[in-house]
This record gives sequence, C-alpha cells and structure tokens, in this order.
Amino acid sequence: MANAFLLDLGRCIGCQACVVACKAGNELNEGTQYIRILEQVRGTFPNLAGGFDNHRCYHCADAACVAVCPTHALFKEDGLTRLDRDICSGCGYCIESCPYGVPEMVDGRSSKCDACAATTKAGGDPWCVTTCPSRALMYGDKEEVLAEANARVAVMKNRYPNAQVYGETQAGGLGVIMVVPDDPEVLDLPLKPDPPLVSQAWQKVVQPGSIALTGVTIAAAGVAAVIARRNHMAELRAVEDAAAADTTEEV
Amino acid sequence: MALVDLKITRRTFLTTGATVGIAGLAPSYALAAENGDTPWYRRGRIETTYNYCDMCPWRCGIVVRSVDGVVQKVDGNPLDPKSRGMLCARGQGGVSFLNDPDRLQAPMMRAGERGEGRFEEVTWERALDFIAGKINDIKERSGPEALAIFGHTSGEYWFTDLFAQAWGTPNAAKPSSSLCLSPREEAAQLTYGMAVGGHEPVDWDELRCLTLIGSHIGEDTRNTVMQDFATMWSKGGKVIVVDPRFSSVAAKADYWLPIKPGTDTALLLAWMNVLITEGRYDASYVADWTVGFDELSAHVADLTPEWAASITDLPAEQIRETARVMADNLPQSVIMPGRHVTWYGNDTQRLRATYLINALLGAYGRPGGLYFNKSPFLEEYPHPPYAVAGSSGGCSAEPGEEVSDELPLGPSGKARADGARDTFLRGATALQELIDPMISGDPYRIEGLIVYGTNLLNSVPNKPRTIEALKALDLVVAIDVLPQEHVAWADVVLPESTFFERYDQLWAVSHKTPYIAMREPAIPPMYDTRPAWWMARELGIRVGLDAYFDWETAEEYLDKRLRSVASNLDDMRAEGGIIMQNGKPYFEDLGESSPFRTPSEKIELYSQQLADAGFDPMPVYEAVEEPPAGFYRLLYGRHPVHTFAKTQNTPVLNELYSENELWLNEDAADDEGVADGEYVLLENQDGARSGPIRVKATQRIRSDAVFMPHGFGQKTKKLTRAYGRGASDTELQTRYALDPISGGAGMRINFVKIVKEV
Amino acid sequence: MATRNHDHELLRYRRNQRIIHALLASSFLILLLSGLVLLWDPLSVFASGGTSRLLHRIAAVGFMAVPIAYLIADREGAKELLVDSFKYDRDDIEWIKHMYRYAMGHATEMPPQGRLNAGQKLHHAAVVIVSAAIVVTGLAMWFFKSGLGASGLAWAAIIHDFAMLALTLLLVGHLYFTFVYKALSGMTTGYVPELEAKIEHSKWVEELEAAEHEAAAAKEVPSA
Repeated sequence: MANAFLLDLGRCIGCQACVVACKAGNELNEGTQYIRILEQVRGTFPNLAGGFDNHRCYHCADAACVAVCPTHALFKEDGLTRLDRDICSGCGYCIESCPYGVPEMVDGRSSKCDACAATTKAGGDPWCVTTCPSRALMYGDKEEVLAEANARVAVMKNRYPNAQVYGETQAGGLGVIMVVPDDPEVLDLPLKPDPPLVSQAWQKVVQPGSIALTGVTIAAAGVAAVIARRNHMAELRAVEDAAAADTTEEV
Repeated sequence: MALVDLKITRRTFLTTGATVGIAGLAPSYALAAENGDTPWYRRGRIETTYNYCDMCPWRCGIVVRSVDGVVQKVDGNPLDPKSRGMLCARGQGGVSFLNDPDRLQAPMMRAGERGEGRFEEVTWERALDFIAGKINDIKERSGPEALAIFGHTSGEYWFTDLFAQAWGTPNAAKPSSSLCLSPREEAAQLTYGMAVGGHEPVDWDELRCLTLIGSHIGEDTRNTVMQDFATMWSKGGKVIVVDPRFSSVAAKADYWLPIKPGTDTALLLAWMNVLITEGRYDASYVADWTVGFDELSAHVADLTPEWAASITDLPAEQIRETARVMADNLPQSVIMPGRHVTWYGNDTQRLRATYLINALLGAYGRPGGLYFNKSPFLEEYPHPPYAVAGSSGGCSAEPGEEVSDELPLGPSGKARADGARDTFLRGATALQELIDPMISGDPYRIEGLIVYGTNLLNSVPNKPRTIEALKALDLVVAIDVLPQEHVAWADVVLPESTFFERYDQLWAVSHKTPYIAMREPAIPPMYDTRPAWWMARELGIRVGLDAYFDWETAEEYLDKRLRSVASNLDDMRAEGGIIMQNGKPYFEDLGESSPFRTPSEKIELYSQQLADAGFDPMPVYEAVEEPPAGFYRLLYGRHPVHTFAKTQNTPVLNELYSENELWLNEDAADDEGVADGEYVLLENQDGARSGPIRVKATQRIRSDAVFMPHGFGQKTKKLTRAYGRGASDTELQTRYALDPISGGAGMRINFVKIVKEV
Repeated sequence: MATRNHDHELLRYRRNQRIIHALLASSFLILLLSGLVLLWDPLSVFASGGTSRLLHRIAAVGFMAVPIAYLIADREGAKELLVDSFKYDRDDIEWIKHMYRYAMGHATEMPPQGRLNAGQKLHHAAVVIVSAAIVVTGLAMWFFKSGLGASGLAWAAIIHDFAMLALTLLLVGHLYFTFVYKALSGMTTGYVPELEAKIEHSKWVEELEAAEHEAAAAKEVPSA
C-alpha cells in the first residue's frame, strides 16, 4: 500500500500552523524545521498573483537521499521516505543529494520529515495534517489522495484555469500530491527531479561490486597462496639441499 | 480501541479514557520510532485535560496532553466549535509559552525607582497585604473609583469584571474595546441593536460572496475563520478584498482593491450607490426590516463609483463590478465585520456603512448571511449586588451593553473618568482615556492601577503619556505571566500561572450554536505562581469583599455555575470538555418579535439616535489627514505566528519570526535608495524614532503607506528573546484620533519617514 | 646498525621504516574498516551515530601523515623508496614478464632483482598513485562537500570507493606475497634470512656485500 500527503497550495494561506505542530509533535530542536512556508508573489503592483509554497520533504518515489544513504537509514516504506535516525551515520550525503534541500543535520545525524511514521502507525495523522485549519493538507492512501486532488482541481479550475494536480508522475512521482493553482513552472515548483544517475550508481553498482570483487580476490588469493607457498618451500628446500651438497663436496 | 490515542482528528475522536499507557502498545509499534528517540506519547501514561487556548483572545477549545507531569502537546478539541480539532501556529506554540524561562516566577515588590526594574521577591501574603492596604487607603481618601483596573487575556474576568464591580470602580477597561472593537460594537448597537460579539456571526456554510475590508485572514490566524474561509473559498465563493496591501488573503481573492488608506467610507458609499441606483438590493428585506431607505437613497444618489474613484484611487469600473458581484450573491453575501477597527477616529461611521450594505444585501438573519448569535444559558455565580455595573466590554466578554443613557455610578457617586458622554458618545470604557486622569486629575484623579495581562506599553498609543501616568500613580500592580515592559513600572508584581496550570472561568461563547468550554489545569502551577481567580479572591477577602468570594476552590465555583446547566466538571470532562446548546440563528427561528433592539426595532439605515446626538445620521465620507511629503502612513497588523505583543518571546514562535519587517513598496524603496533587507530607522511626525527595522521591499503594498507586524521592538531585557528585535509600532503611535461616537482610539493617523543611519 | 646478524640474516628494514610501515598499515586498516561499515550493509550498524566517521577521519590524518613522517624519520629511505619504485631496468621488465612464476612460489630462475623486486616496485607505485586519489577525494568530501553538488559528491565517493577497492586488492597481494615468501620477519625484526634474500634479491645482496668489502677496505687502509 502506498500512502501520500495531499498539499493544496490553493487553500494554503501561509498560517504556519503545520510548521509549529510539526515542531511540537516531533519535539524538533530549536532551529530545525521540517516545513517552511515561503512567500510567492508574481507581478507588479497592483497586478499581483501569489500565495505560499509549503516547502517540505516531497517523499520522492525515486528518492536521491535513499539512493545515496550508505546505511539505509533512509528508506522507502508505504510510498514514503522514512528516516531511522538510530542507524544514521551522519555522513550528510542525503543533504547534498536532495534536489530540494530537505534533510538537515541535527545533533550529528540527518533529520527530515518521515511522515510522522511513529504517529501514523499509532493510528493518528501526521501532526501537520491534524492541525491544518485550511485543510490544505490531507494524508492517506495514495489513490484516495489522488482522487481528492483531482476533485479539488476540478472545482478550482473555475477560479484558476491552469489549476492542476502535480506530483503524480511529475518529478518522478512524489509522495506529496499537490494541488496547484497554476503551471508548476510559474509556481517555481520542484522541477529538477531525478537524482543524478551517478548517485544511483553508487549504491547500486559500486558498493556491491566492490564487496564482491574483494571477496572473490581474497578467496582466489587464499587458494593460490597455499599452492604458491608450497612451491616456494619446495624450491627453498631444493636450494638448501643443493647448498648442503656443495658444502659436502667441498669438504 | 486505538493503541495510542493520537487519533483526535475531526474524523474520529474517543471521548473516553484518552489515557493509554505504554503497556498497551503492540511491541512492533513500541519500537517504531523511526525518526529519533522514543516519541513523547510513548514515554509514559498520557493524561488528557480540557482547556481553552489563551494564546490569542479567540480561545479555541483544546485538548492538552501531558506525560508524567510534563505538558507535551496541545491540539484542538474536536468537539469545540471554534477549533474543531485544529489549531493555529500560536496554539501549537502553547507549550513553548508555558515553558518560557523568562516567565515571572515569584511575587515581587519594587526595590528601586519605578521603571528601573529592581525588585525583591516577597511572599504572596506580603504582596497581597501591601496591595490591600494601599487600595483601602485610596478608597478611604478618594473613593473606590480612584482605582483603575485594566484587563486582557482570559483571566481578565476575575479582576476587570468581578473584582472591579464588587469593589466599585467603573474605571475597569479592556484594550479589546477602545483599542480594537468599540466602533464595531457601537455601530452594531446603533444600526441593528445587537452586539457583533466575540465570534463574528458570518454564516460561512452557505456564504457565496465575502467582502473583507482590512481583514487579514491568514495573517490574523484566528483558527475558525481560516477554516471557514478555506471551505467557502474552495467551494468557489467569491472573495473581494479591500486592502492597501496584497495580504495573504488578498492573494486568494477574486477581486483585490488596493484602496488608498483612509478612504474606505467613500468606497462603501459608492457601493451603496450602485446597489440602490441599479436596483441590486434585496427590496423586500429592506422594506420589511429597515428604516430610512429613502433617506439613504437620496444620500448616496450622487456618490457614484466615478466620484469614489478619485478619492479611493480605485477604478470606477472595479467599484461597480464588485458591487454587482456582491449583489449577484445576495443574501449570501456579506462584508465581514472587521476585528481591529480603530483606524481613523471616524470608525463607527465606517462600520455603520458596512452594516448598511449588509442590510441592503439582506444578510442579517438569513442563511449564508450574518446569523443571529446567542449566548449560552449559564447562570452567574450567585453574588450580592455589585457596587457598580460593569461597562468594560471587549471581544472576549459580552460587551457592556448600556441599558440606559445614564452611566453607572460608583459608590462615591463618580461615573467613569474616561469622558464618556462628554468627549465621546457611548460604549465600553475607553482604556486610553483613563490615562490622562492619572496625570491631570480631570475629571478626578485615578490614583491606583491594577494591570492584569494588558501589555500597557505595547498597546496604548502615546507611550510617553502612559509612562508619565505610571510615574504619577500612587500604586501600580502588574499581574502577568511574562515580565512585559510595563511590569518594570509596578510597585507589586504578581506572577500568574499560565492557562495550563489553572482552573478558570467558564468560557461561554455567543455563537450560532452557543456553547460553554472549560479550563482545567494540566499540571500544578510552576514556580511560585498563582491563578488570577486565587489572587482576586485573596485580595477581595483582604478588602472586605468576602461575600463575593464565598467559595474555597475554583472547582467549587465552577461546579456551582455548571449546576444551572445540569452539569458539573466531571460530567463536562466526560463529555469532552464542551457543553453545546441550540441557537436561533435565523428569522425563522424567532417568533413574531423583531430581533433588532433599536428604537425602531428595525435596521436603522438612517439613525435618529445619531441625529439626535448631533452626529451624521448616515455615514459621510470625510477626508483624513494625508501624510506630508516624505512620509508614509504607518499601517500595522499581524504576523501569522504572533499575537499582539504577547508571543514574541515564546521560544518556538520567536524562532519562526523573531523580528518584524517594514513592508515598503519596491519602487518607493528605490526612490529612497533603500535595499530589500536593509535596516532603517523610522521617525514619525512628532519626531519619535523606532529601533532598527529590516526593510521588506515588495510590490505587495501601495507606495503611500508602510506596514509592519505589531508587537515587536520590545524594550525590556527581561524578555531575552524578544528584546530589541524589530521595531515597535506603538512607539511611533504618539497620537491617535478619538472616535467621538465609540471612544475608540484611531491609530492609523501616524506617519513615518525612513531614516537611513543604522 | 649492523646490516646482518649472527643468524645469517640481513637487515632489510630499519626501525624507523618499520614504525612508518606500522603507522601506514594501522591507519589503512582503520580506514578500511571504518569505511567498510558504510559500504557493506551487514556492518552498517557500526556506522550509526558517526563514531566510525570520527575514527575514519583520525585514521585519515594518520594515513596522510605517513609520507611526511617518513621524510622526517628517514629522508634517505623515503627518497630511495620513491625513486626505486618508479625506476625499472631490463631485469625488472624481464621479471615482470615472468611474474606469474614468481607468484606461484618460484623465485629461482627469475631475473636478478635489487632491494625491491619489480613486483614490489609496481605495488609501491600503485599505492602512491591510488592513495593520492583517495586523499584528494577524501579531503573533498570532508571539507568541500557542499561545493561538490549531488553528482560531484557521488563522483567523489565513487572514485574514493574504487580507489580504496584497488588499495584493498593491492593489500591482498601484499599479504599474499608476505605469506608465500614468509617475509613477515622483515617488518617485525627487520631481518630476513640471507639465503632467501640471495634468491629473491640477488643484486641487493651483492650490493650489500660490495659495500661491506668497501667498508672493510676503508678500515684497513689507514691502519696499513
């Protein structure tokens, strides 16, 4: 089963309730935020348009952070990107790899939205969703979320003809399905989605390849060493015998 | 049964036993803390208490969760009609407010000069005895009226209402009246004979067109309003926003009218002109429920959109179009009564103009319009007759309705010292008008002042005058949770417990569905703090008011009051902390009698009452003073994570927004040679200077005004996080315009220029 | 120090050289293991919390200090090692052509070799080059992580990992020859049996003997 967030940027009025609920519910340190509300304004006075970007972990289907995480502290579960801080090594590769600048280093380990894994497993909604006064946020089965998003867009088109669902397939598929009032380009939404191929290669090729090659080498060297050492000992004995023979002859 | 009762969403809510211990968890879940340490809700037994939030005066019902005596999380109470299970940023920051290390921790008495801030800690006995002695002296010397009591925040009842009335001072005032709502309430009483009330009675569910004049939903983050707005908006309801600033809600609007500040009445009159001349009003409603339509028609006949265009700086066509949109959706079309409406000193008339349009749209008492709110039935705690009737009003209490023209008199025969009936017509006690009598002794000297939760030096305009008054008083008592700036001026400081640590008065809300919310402590008082009810009672007993405090504990008091609605604290708790009652929101719910308690029992488009008192019977546009060359009009407002000047020091909220910014039109900034992000000083028309403030150069504001969120630039070092961050708008409001009808203090008549030397 | 002892052994590595080698070996092993925990899932538990990173960085400092320490401790030896490792004569080329025989334990009948045989030279040269790559990418990831960007970081990590793989394979070879030619004593006591040295490094033994003769001659001359 895949779960997902619904993020309705049409409804979001930038009140930051989600930001504080997240900090309070997850007991985040001072300075740590999993959600950031960013003002977006376009045009010049008095012909303005705008709103807010609710910047957060987008739970990418093909998450760069997961791809580069050496210890698998970051992993995909139920369509979401989880983080097990207990096994995080604090290498920070996720921080550099995330195209959206989401993970932060907190107390020497990575820290990011894990879609309130513990809370949702205990039967609740993520804290941000629970509190959102505008109901710009929703959490649940991805299919249901998509259906809701499409229903919202259908109504929103009356006001904003370019309204659309974003994140179902865009950016490689996101765990945050967005309802956006305008073209994503206009709204500056995440458009550089795919992690570099080389990031993928690292975990998928380099790591297993290295281990395998080392293993094979050690095994082969072990066998060869036994044989070679035997050869060498024989050789040494031959030389020593020859030397002994020489000595005898001389005497 | 849920494993851990976190499921307090609007979808499901377990009213019973929200206390699941860690033992009740399935092992797989007990280990499922993906992101960090054991989450708080698995550290022990969760204890749930009911409360209403005090982070702003809206007071949403909340559920407070504590684990092992530590308050961990606040969420909206799903049964509460205000929160419906959700909360704003400030509400979510409540626990951080509770744990603010800068809190006042023990009673203190002044050890140095007033304002110096040197205190010594004393016992409660000593502090209360001292206050009792002092106020008794004042009473003996000059009568009980010479003690003024200012109150704000949710414990205000105990001092500003109960104690003040029992003691006998009519000089009890709330900033929520004359610094905020008075014009709105007086205009409502004058026009249709009702209070707007603390919870603006917009009938959101069926509303189809919303017009906002200077209301900033989303920046003003009243939870329910944001919820209702989002629902109405997403159903496709039309939104018209009149604001010199492209506010958060303007960004959602179908029409944004970037009006020239101070000209709203011209716009309102032109809208009336369109509605009437084009016949786009609810004719039968107007015929049935209003008086003075003919006079109004004649009054606005020439006040065309073209006339208003030149005044308001808005295109006539936009004025005409928006009036038509309003009319197309009537009666499910309202201009929302604003919140802080003390702008220019002519505010009652402006508010009357908005109500007149609502009447033309047929909105009052109609589904989708403005419902008739009703207070819940709940008897007062029985008490002997009060020494003086209250008239403090405010958004958090039922406004002091004046039943007669006579002002209530105190025991020694003195009425309010705020100039009511003299400098202004009517309304709740005007807090700012009580400052001058402290200095001048006119009409009589106010000698003592108890300040309960009122942020005196960050809310009352003309701060130098307030400081002069603080110097002149014989007694200043400050009761607060935080060492706000004025606390340094007190003789005695009484530290209050926060709303997490105390029982409190029942919160009886006038609403479409009237209801009662309760407050119980989640933890015992921290430090050496006490609840306001305890302080008021202890002081009352010391000054011979025992009869008004004939209860030992808050539980006893509350249980007795709840008996009148066949309940008690235990029952209320068991039912989820809320008692709901039925309202009568629409005409059809009423009998034959008119709901409008005006002399005509109708909505008075033409106000004979005003005419008789020498005022314009119908709103007239009067130009307000323009900023001089080089100056901008100073507008102020809210930031979503802050309430007034109260939360700037709350750690988590301070972290999110620690200093305010000055919104300055980008082009104006270019002309000034000021870059975005640069710090500047502001100097007002009287030479008052602010501290440095960062410029936000933006297209989102007109070029003749600047804007800053209110409540920053705190001057006291005791607020370690808020101290010196940003600039104070109050310091720049050295003058205000007294509204001659309501006594409101119009504060948008101050101008500032930008000084570049930081 | 004597170049030979009473057990017919020749001094192959001086004390300072052995210490440097131990520093190199231990820092390398710590680096390998503390790096491996990030590379190999079953070990990832040891990476949590960043202790392994701290170890890695301490060992990295040790590893980078080796050439400097070598220069301080034994300037001549360091120079000789570096120069020798990149200088190959005709015998070396021939030796390399027949390296397989040597690898299988047949040292006799190989072309005559100096103090370092051609295999050791190749090994040392590879270690120097690959280590440089490791140090460069390692420093980049340590100090300029945010400057690298997502793909830069991935490239740096991949080069770092591959280089470490190469070093590890070189280590396997190194240990292999140590085992096959029971050469450990060279790095523990510093001495190797003369007989075996003559077989494997005949040119070196000849040089040693020639030097001894010269020294002896020089002693005799003044007394003569």
